[in-house]
Order: sequence, then C-alpha cells, then structure tokens
Amino acid sequence: MSQNSDWQRVHPASPFVHGWLAIVGLLYIYWQNTDELSMAERFSGERLKWTVVLGAAALLVVLAFYFLSWYFTRYKLTETHVYVNSGALFRSQKQARIDKVQGIDIAQPLIARLLGLAELRFDVADSSESVLRLAFLRKAEAHELRQLILQRATGPSAANPTASPSQAPEHTGTFAANTPEASTPLMAKVPITRLFASLFLQLPMLIGTLACVVIVVLWLSGITGMIAAVLPILLSFGGWFYKQLNQGWNYTASATDTGMRISYGLADTRQHSIPAGRVQAISITAPLLWRLFGWYKLEVNVLGTKSDELDNLQVLPVGDFDAVTRIMGILLPDLGISNQREVLSTAVSTGYNHGFIGSPPRAKLLSPAAWKHQGFLSTETTVISRYGWLARTASFVPHHRVQGTEFRQGPWEKRRELAGVRLHCAGGNIIGYLHQIDAQTASEFTLAQAERQAER
Amino acid sequence: MTATTPWSPNSFTPADPSYFKVKLTTWAITWGLILLVSLIPGILLATGVEVLLWLVILPVLLVVIIALLTLRILRRQVAALGYLEREEDFVVRSGVMWRKQLVIPYGRMQYVEVNSGPLERRYGLCQLTLNTAGAGATAHVYGLPEAQGQLLRERLVAAGEEKML
Repeated sequence: MSQNSDWQRVHPASPFVHGWLAIVGLLYIYWQNTDELSMAERFSGERLKWTVVLGAAALLVVLAFYFLSWYFTRYKLTETHVYVNSGALFRSQKQARIDKVQGIDIAQPLIARLLGLAELRFDVADSSESVLRLAFLRKAEAHELRQLILQRATGPSAANPTASPSQAPEHTGTFAANTPEASTPLMAKVPITRLFASLFLQLPMLIGTLACVVIVVLWLSGITGMIAAVLPILLSFGGWFYKQLNQGWNYTASATDTGMRISYGLADTRQHSIPAGRVQAISITAPLLWRLFGWYKLEVNVLGTKSDELDNLQVLPVGDFDAVTRIMGILLPDLGISNQREVLSTAVSTGYNHGFIGSPPRAKLLSPAAWKHQGFLSTETTVISRYGWLARTASFVPHHRVQGTEFRQGPWEKRRELAGVRLHCAGGNIIGYLHQIDAQTASEFTLAQAERQAER
Repeated sequence: MTATTPWSPNSFTPADPSYFKVKLTTWAITWGLILLVSLIPGILLATGVEVLLWLVILPVLLVVIIALLTLRILRRQVAALGYLEREEDFVVRSGVMWRKQLVIPYGRMQYVEVNSGPLERRYGLCQLTLNTAGAGATAHVYGLPEAQGQLLRERLVAAGEEKML
C-alpha cells in the first residue's frame, strides 16, 4: 500500500467546505455595496470591467488562501501512527498512536455531504486534548481508511481478513471493493414515523405542543402581550426537538467486530463506532407513554467521546424489546446469569423474578408510584438497578466498571430503615442507582460491592 | 443503634477538632455577608426612603433563624466527617441528616490532591481529594493536620501504584 509511507493530501475541495462562508460573505458585501445598481448596469460598459477585475482579484485571493490551506494540510499513515499536519503560517502537527485509537467517527457536514466528502474524527485514549480530525476525504476513501486503521488498532490478527473464516464471504477482495455498510449485520433501524411518534409522546414535546396551542389561542383572541412570554419556552423546546430529531433521523445500528456502529443525522450525517470494551454503563429508559407501545431508549456511558457535546451517547433513540436485546447482546454479552432474555425483560418492567430485590412496602409513602418498579439484581458480572417514576430506567453497570460505591441515607429514609446505593461510573452520567431499599440490604450490598471491586 | 450503615461510624478516623473553627469562621463570614444584604431595606428606611415595615423585618428574621439552625448542626457535621483506610479500598463518610459513605478501591484511583486554603493553613490543616475516572466517585477528606495529610497522600499513592502493577 503506497499510503503507508507517503504524505497524502486531503481532497482539494476541503478548504471550500471549511470556508464556503467566506465566499458567501464576499458576495454579500459586493451585493450590499452595489445595491442601487440594476442587473444591466452591473454587467455593462465601464462597470463590467470593474466588476470582472474586482471579482477576479477577490477570487484569486480566496483561492490563494484555499490553495495554501490545502497545500499544507497533509496526512500520513504508518504502521503505528496517524499524522496530520496543517497550517501555512501557524503550523500544527498532530499525531495519534494507532493502538490508542478507540474509535473513528465519520462526520459529514451539509456542504461536505453535497460534495460526497467526509471527515474522520479519531477518539484517542489517554488524551484529554481535542480530538484528531482529518478533513476532508472522499466518502469511500474515508471508510476505507477508517477500516484500515481500525484493523491495525485491533492487532495484526484482525488485520488479515482471512484470519476470520466466518467473515470471509463478507470480506471478499480489498476493502475498497465493498463498503463497510454491506459487511455488517444491521441491528436496529428507526422508521421516521416511529421517530416522530416517539418524540411527541415525551413530556418535553407534550409541553411544547401545549405551548404552541396556547400561542395560537392567544393570537387568535388578540392577546399578543403574552406571546413574548411563551416564545422562549417554545424556542427551547424547538432546540430539544431538533436535537432529538437529528439524533434519530435515518438512524441505523450495526454490529462490528469490536462492538457496534451507529449512524444518524438530518443535515449532518454522523457515524460513531462504539467498541464494546469502552462501554462503562448502559441505561434502558421507557418514558411514561412509550410503555403503551413497548418502546425503549438505550444510552451508554462510553470513554473517549469528549469530542461530543453529548453527555451520554444514545445508541438507540427508540426501539422495541427485540432491538434492545440485540444491542445488549453486543454491548454487554455476559449478564452473568442464565436466561438473559427473561432477566432483561424483568429489568425493563416490574416484578421480582430471577432474584430481583425491590423496595420494601414501607417505601410506599416516599415513592408512591415508583416503589414497585424500584429494585436491583446483582449477578456474577453486573449490577442491574431499576428506578424512576414517570420515565422508568433500568441501568446496567458491570462490576469491574464501578469507580466508587456510595451508600446514602436521607432523614426520611432513615426513619423507615431504608437506604440507597449509587454506583458511580466514568464516561457519562449514567449510574447504578439502588433507590430506597432496605437499609440492612443496602449496607450488605455496599460491603459486598467493595469486596468485589477489590478483586478486580 | 443497629448497624444500618456499611461501616460503623466509630471505625473512621475523624476530622481534626480544630476543623470546627475553620467551619465556624466560614459560617460567620458567609452569614455575615448575607445578613448585610438582608439589612438593605432597613438602611434604606433609615435614610428616609419609604419601605414597607415587613420588608425590613422579615428578611433579617429569616436569615438569623436559618443561620442559627445551620450553626446548631455545624459541630455535628464536622464530627460526622471521617475516613477509613482499608486493605483494598478507601472509605470516606460525611453528613448528619443525609448520611453518605463512599468507598473507592485503590485500583480506581487516578490522582490524589492535597489543598489548603488560607483559613485551613491558619489552623495547620489541609484537605485531600481522591479522584477517579468517574465524576461522581470523588472522595474528599476535610480537616486533616498537614503532616498527616502528606503521609496519607503518600500511602494512597503507594497503594494505588501497587494495585496498578
């Protein structure tokens, strides 16, 4: 492979994708300053000469910058490192060790998507600074490069496709010959109708819709003063709605050798790799109205996604129990208990089968609606805990991912001999949460958990 | 009292008694400032501005009541602080009304910090923070005598390194 030792340049259109706003800005300035002229005047006689000369000069300057930016942006892939150099005046040289690369995201901003380009973002372990970005490559090229780097990251055995005979029919020929989408089994998809339904069945959206109705009613009845007060609420719900829509749009999840990959996006298409080994905790949430349809949302705490504004990574925006089981099978294959499927089904509902320990009836006064749902199960490998009132959550924390165990007891809990335990995890805000269980049980669990942590 | 906490409160090394003085000073400064703010309507009244009488009295009364209630449990709060070094993990406890006991295995420790503010330095105290990869799992040890704090840090770091190997 020739790209092993040589410096390569990114796609020549890259500076344009980064800086298309500059061109739009120049055009806008030109238009503003020649506002009083008609079209005919702009492009005739003496004017024409000036228009052409100025336009050419501006274009030349922009192109010169674009050329410099493109010329000085180079990348190199070696057996051990990825190097990215950029900047004409202020040079920056970045590199990432391939064996530290935890995942590679493919992002496509709107303009890049129109041009068929993609950006690679590297998640590197042990690096708190900004992620390494490589922008832009042709989409196929980006997929190919990503596949290559991920294979090098997972070691020499995986780098050779013939080493895994079961995968052989899928990996025929070179990586360029087939797209990774074709080689990975699809695990979940979100139809757009379901996405919309799921969004409108959540509390924020219900309130947002209510605000819309209020505004229309106020407007129709001629009261305009109140609208200003409701509008900000509406805008924030709009933002929430867009974010959720964007994260669920065209959503697909597929299994990979190391974990799973999700892709989504309304305007910008994003791809995320989630290596199963980086997952710290998983939560399955069912908002109140979703329970009518048996829908769930899956989120994970995962290390190395600091590049993202998301606190938790959503790995399933909405899906039925089957999709949940499939994804859980990838991310947490060993629940440490037999008949995993039934245990999972108990975990996302109520009931005390399979050894789930719930809140005692004396918790009824503190959590009248949730006490029947609250409970936990500690298996060989994982702590499963259920909590939540309107939105019921089941969280899964593998024992060896627990960073700290916290026993908590408030004054009302103390009076009823109840207590809670929190299992703190890294990489997000999902925690194991044993809520309002018997104080004696909670104490014993905390001691046992400390014992288990010490072994690992 | 039955053992409804994982570790008996008596087994912990308590905070230095002089840490109460640090907390008391902090209490005095904080509530002094809040009291000053609550006195603003009264000052306005004194300078001749029309202010409703209950607006003058109510804030001051509220502030004084809350401040005194806080003061009442301050000593118990300090007494509730403590840490416990065990074979494989480190436990801290805190809280009177809301009791907490947080246990962190040495193997999860990322780094240990020892800090001391000007008030703590006056009493020869410091505080130790034990950080892990999880934001929630951060153990704070307050009211440590400085020498003891340094020794504890060294022991923790040594224990952490041992677990890392």
